Amino acid sequence: MTPTNRTQSASTLRALSDDLTAAVESASRSVVAIHARPRIAASGIYWRDGVVVAASHTIRKEQEIGVTLPNGTRATANLVGRDGGTDLAVLRLDRPPTDAVALPAFASADALRVGALVLAVGRPGDDGVSTSLGVISAVSDRWRTWSGGEIDRFVRLDLAIYDGFSGGALVDADGRVLGVNCSALARGTPLTIPNATVDRVVDALLTRGHVARAYLGVAMQPARLTNALTERLRLDDPRGVLVVMVESDSPADRAGLLVGDLIVAASGKTVAEPQDVAELLGGEQVGAALELSVVRGGERRSLTVTVGERAPAGEPKRRGRSS
Amino acid sequence: MSAALLAAIAAPAAARSLTSELHELADRLRRVTVRIATTGSRFDGVGAGIIWPSKGRAIVLTNAHVVPPRRGDHLVVEHEGGRRVEARVIARETDLDLALLALVDAPNEWPAAADIGDARSLRPGEILVALGHPFGVGGALSLGIVHAAPGTDDSWVRADVRLAPGNSGGPLATLDGAIVGINCMIARGLGIAVSAHVADRFAREVTSR
Repeated sequence: MTPTNRTQSASTLRALSDDLTAAVESASRSVVAIHARPRIAASGIYWRDGVVVAASHTIRKEQEIGVTLPNGTRATANLVGRDGGTDLAVLRLDRPPTDAVALPAFASADALRVGALVLAVGRPGDDGVSTSLGVISAVSDRWRTWSGGEIDRFVRLDLAIYDGFSGGALVDADGRVLGVNCSALARGTPLTIPNATVDRVVDALLTRGHVARAYLGVAMQPARLTNALTERLRLDDPRGVLVVMVESDSPADRAGLLVGDLIVAASGKTVAEPQDVAELLGGEQVGAALELSVVRGGERRSLTVTVGERAPAGEPKRRGRSS
Repeated sequence: MSAALLAAIAAPAAARSLTSELHELADRLRRVTVRIATTGSRFDGVGAGIIWPSKGRAIVLTNAHVVPPRRGDHLVVEHEGGRRVEARVIARETDLDLALLALVDAPNEWPAAADIGDARSLRPGEILVALGHPFGVGGALSLGIVHAAPGTDDSWVRADVRLAPGNSGGPLATLDGAIVGINCMIARGLGIAVSAHVADRFAREVTSR
């Protein structure tokens, strides 16, 4: 290889390295450290003027939250609201910072592509920004977290989310933000909450203080009818969802749903798993009528439930699957 | 023509030059990296070492935890191609996890020492490579980036790079092939290396005695 060749090939790798350091530097102007739990700090992103987005599970206090800005100065912030379903929290800085922090450049949703080279940028303390490199390993449709949050796309990452990285930014090779990193929504699997979801949650938290979540007041589990009963009732699918608990004075209680009812269809759609019912309960469904077809005592009957609104959730905690 | 070679020719220019550059970098680091195999009553494992610059004698820098605990103990270092040379522990500093070895009989054609860089100028996101013998696999390359700029204590480099037992004592290097750290542990998935300037200071102190 001639010396000229060597320089050229070296420059490709060098150029990539320079792109990555520039991307980290650019994103670091918007990534802050949040001191709202014991031991290690967590990360946050300066999302809008005076507003910081963080991971809800890292926020253990509501007032006088210390925030380390990119230039190393300390500010304080208060919790505006949190959404356990998406593990997002919104903080407002007490005094709008001047040039200590900058709004990030946001990437469009098309940039969420499998194989895209990405960096996680976090600030887990006062010791500067830190980063890890990887790729987006999977992107799929809307999904619902185990705690009921609606996320526009499931974005799984092949990169390390180190301690204190939750709430930090996923950025592309140009330093544009693709979403908020989180390790608490899928059993420690590193994933990113896309910008569209974050914007929706930020809007809801800023205007209402919580994210509306539809609610029936039942606990359900999958169950299966006998073949004879399936045939007699002319059902396409022997599977259904068994009501194992009805909360008093809940929308389900008021509609007359009973423990032991087997839900086989909702809004005309076949229901085979509790998830199928949950899918029909987006935040926009609050107040709407939901038609349920249930099997009770071997007979089919129809019930109409007026969908209620779940009381605002705190930080995510494990609970049974109920809708 | 092999399928791999065909694939390499068909690959886009940028990816192809990245690959060949990494290949060249790995070759370059293999020339300054040795394998340290230790066998003994309580000591049995594989680590790596770096052929360190020194006036006069041929020395190898590695981790203290890779070599036997006593000064003067003998062991064998193996260079690429299988050349084995006997070495002796001349200094050990457990706080820094560093040890210095001197070759008992340096062969005439012993390779030139590594280029030593400076970890204090690293920037987060900068590409780094590690070379070592993870789980005994000889001369394996790992690609990663600088995790964070050196903090108040610049004795350690934090790298987002996948290391394993057998990387210990091996080089963490920039794209220029300059050694910026001596890989020494994995902390919550993060690769931790002793900064090259700390290692170099240690080597100079020992060899000037």
